[in-house]
Amino acid sequence: MKALLMKDCFVLWKQLRIFIFVMLVISVFNGGFGNVFVVIWAAMLPYTAMAYDERSKWDQLAAMMPYSVRDIVLSKYVLGWLCTGAAALFTLVCQLLQTVLGSPFAAFDPAANLIGLCSSLCVLAITSPMMFRFGVERGRLTMFLMIFLGCGTAGALGSVVVDGEGPARLPALLTLILPIAAVVLTAVSIPLSMGLYRKRSC
Amino acid sequence: MNAIELSHIRKSFGGFAIQDLCLTVPSGTICGLVGENGAGKSTTIRLLMGALRPDGGTAKVLGTDVSSPEFQDVKEDVGVVLDEAYFPEVLNAVQVGNIMASTYRRWDDSLYQSYLRRFDLPEKKPFRDYSRGMRMKLSIAVALSHQPRLLVLDEATAGLDPIVRDEVLDIFNEFTREEDHSILISSHILSDLEKLCDYIAFLHQGELLFCDEKDRLLETYGILTDTAEQVDCLTPEAVVAREPSGYGGVRALVRRDLAPSGFQLERPTVEDIILFMVKGAKNA
Repeated sequence: MKALLMKDCFVLWKQLRIFIFVMLVISVFNGGFGNVFVVIWAAMLPYTAMAYDERSKWDQLAAMMPYSVRDIVLSKYVLGWLCTGAAALFTLVCQLLQTVLGSPFAAFDPAANLIGLCSSLCVLAITSPMMFRFGVERGRLTMFLMIFLGCGTAGALGSVVVDGEGPARLPALLTLILPIAAVVLTAVSIPLSMGLYRKRSC
Repeated sequence: MNAIELSHIRKSFGGFAIQDLCLTVPSGTICGLVGENGAGKSTTIRLLMGALRPDGGTAKVLGTDVSSPEFQDVKEDVGVVLDEAYFPEVLNAVQVGNIMASTYRRWDDSLYQSYLRRFDLPEKKPFRDYSRGMRMKLSIAVALSHQPRLLVLDEATAGLDPIVRDEVLDIFNEFTREEDHSILISSHILSDLEKLCDYIAFLHQGELLFCDEKDRLLETYGILTDTAEQVDCLTPEAVVAREPSGYGGVRALVRRDLAPSGFQLERPTVEDIILFMVKGAKNA
């Protein structure tokens, strides 16, 4: 798996440089929303790596090298976790520094970071099986549908909570639900992706 | 021991099927897999490497069933070059070397570097800027740098200029000097296969028409160029296929053992045999 992760890092290196720059700008000037956005964007990076793999038909070559299906699938999840984890940590540190320095853009909120991190892990867990089954081109449509549904649900949930017990309750609820959802969805998603990847290649 | 053993392999995809494929490549030999586009060469390679699951039959590589978990380790001993399946295009040769060093336990970096120099491959140039020939050369360098016992090459000489192609064929010949080293190579360039191979396997529309020693194949058949009447004198079993030649004559591929001794038969090339076989199959 180390080799596959190394390959993805080499493949994404140029994109990562741009990503780090955008992450810096957004997390410095765009506060809480920016932090969540950056972390969810980081969850999409494995799909960029997959798109490069597909373009060169790397998966056909990889199937003949000593990589197991488990390694191939899990490496993409690990890449997603590393990217989202790093993005969450980066934005958190950025906001902490801004708070300490008294910046007018400071929005240090670990709960928002946790929500962003867990949301991106959920997005990764929900969309990855489709990517492994249909490839990035067709899987991306499913991903947009999922994100659209996710945003709709979040909006509906937000309005219910606001109407009910006030907006302050929403983050507390999400910080409780989202980590559990991320763990459960990931536990289901990985074996599902492995099964779908095997089906696709056979 | 056999390097490759395919036994009664079947695989169908809608309009195309590999039918009851039995193919054996003895250890220490080079087998050329020949066939038109879409004959099933790449599918056969994917089946024998366990990248495709057959509908029936068994495949063994270096004595191990490819559907068994143990085959994962055997892949360390197999170098693969595929037609049009490469490393991601943003990588360069150095990065590919680093990735392969973490992939194969017996990766030999100094050998890889020597192949890069031998093939004049730039180390830092991204793969996307490589010509097709350079891509093939990099894939061959990778396939040879982890001390494999078997090379599986799908159109590995395609896109190479004649000088490099000759050099690559020499490298493949060198590789099989070790008695347990074997090669399965598919190619459209039949002259390469004639130069390189001990065995020739011919796939036609998913069916293996023959797999035989090259020398025996060349001794079994002969080319008869004569009048149509003379060719008609031969038994139908003796004539594999025929085609009109200039001045109203006929050129036919015939079985030497079934042709009367008075006929003057030319020695065919592998290309002659394959082309006549395809025509024979189409006219049948």
